[in-house]
Amino acid sequence: MGFPKRALQIVGGVLVVYALLVATHLGEFWPFSIYPMFSQAGNPWTRAMVREMPSQTDPDTLSWDAVSLQSLPGASYPLAPKGINQNDVANYVSKTDRWSDERVQGLRSLFTKGRSLSAPLFIFRVRGKLDSDSVGVTATPVLLFEPDTTRLNPSPTARTVASTSPPS
Amino acid sequence: MSTLARFAHTLRYELFENTPPDTKGRRLFFRGLELFIMGYAVYFCWTWGVYIQQNISSVLLPLGLANYIDVSFMFDHNVALINAVLVGVLGLVGFFRLWRPAYLLALLAFHLQYVARYSLGEISHGSNLIGMGVLGLGLALVVFQGERQRRRFTFGFLYFFIGLGYTSAAVCKLIGTGITWPDGRHLLMWIGERKVDTLSRFGSFDASMLQDLVFYDYHFGTLILLVGLLTEAVSFLMWWGKYRYLVVMLVVGMHFGILFSMNIFFQASTILLILLGLPWHRLIDYGLDRAPATVASS
Repeated sequence: MGFPKRALQIVGGVLVVYALLVATHLGEFWPFSIYPMFSQAGNPWTRAMVREMPSQTDPDTLSWDAVSLQSLPGASYPLAPKGINQNDVANYVSKTDRWSDERVQGLRSLFTKGRSLSAPLFIFRVRGKLDSDSVGVTATPVLLFEPDTTRLNPSPTARTVASTSPPS
Repeated sequence: MSTLARFAHTLRYELFENTPPDTKGRRLFFRGLELFIMGYAVYFCWTWGVYIQQNISSVLLPLGLANYIDVSFMFDHNVALINAVLVGVLGLVGFFRLWRPAYLLALLAFHLQYVARYSLGEISHGSNLIGMGVLGLGLALVVFQGERQRRRFTFGFLYFFIGLGYTSAAVCKLIGTGITWPDGRHLLMWIGERKVDTLSRFGSFDASMLQDLVFYDYHFGTLILLVGLLTEAVSFLMWWGKYRYLVVMLVVGMHFGILFSMNIFFQASTILLILLGLPWHRLIDYGLDRAPATVASS
């Protein structure tokens, strides 16, 4: 068999395996993919932001209400210099239906594996949606990581992505 | 001859026969491409290995082989770093043609590293083209004996699957959203999302000129998205030799559009496309032809 025919047969074989794997694994079986990124345009999105609170913060006085992006409490806590991937934090807060101990520890370990906390970290779920010709953004506190303990938003509905309280 | 047979004949010719002459420049360029692909594979595995070791402790979303095996063994005891070293060693073994299955085994280790790194739910496409490159090189090394055939196969394989991938992305957009996908307000949404991500990563966000333009009037966003969608849709034309360089460079342009409008840069894919989208072998041949003349005249 000539080289071009053999080469095309191999490409065809890989194509069949490619199609079978992506068809049975929700479009992804690395390095095979149907490349669905940005395919669902206009849908509301959910990301995450982390704020560092003063070390003397009294957790009992903290507000767990949703706020606008401009009214976030505490100071910015940039993730890149800490070597934490923003997408991983966003995935925890956007894809968790129930905050089991395992989930809470999984997210907490992103901030504490190999390092310790010097001040409480307030984790916000940030949601954006199209309002006419602009984007409305709301941030809802989900968890507070204190150096020794973790607190969840007291409202069970506000902890997960299903809730979208308007900013106060 | 049926339509399918005619199409197969055309593909066979365009991907594996209608190729540049096998000059010294082509041979050197291929070895450089091979080094780039394997070098980037090792780079990915190493950076993921460090991240896995430092940050990951549970599987939220099993991907690929993680659907069938528990990959949590990769999270501790430096297993991910050892796996990265393994990819490097297999890469060297393959590059120096010491053992023919080396690249395919490197791909398996690369896959394990990927599914461990992205087990928290984010699906990254930044390494897919490099993965396809390793697969193409691996198949070429295992199936073909001669280096010339390996070169021709790898190039044809890459153009086929890269073209298919980008066109598939366009089809997904048309299925997922429909013909309203290029509405500029959708770009406003993505820019808003990227703004939050950038604030979260670095603590500040400065809009680019292109983003300011979309904020000023979202219809500019419509134009940007339309050009991007059309570019993706015609990407399969890189299967044909006469359109190849033009189409690949259009896709490179689209990646720079994504960078300036959404602050997302697929570095490995863009560099790979630049390598595949320009006739580098001619430049190398030109340089080699000039070199002896320069030496002689000096």
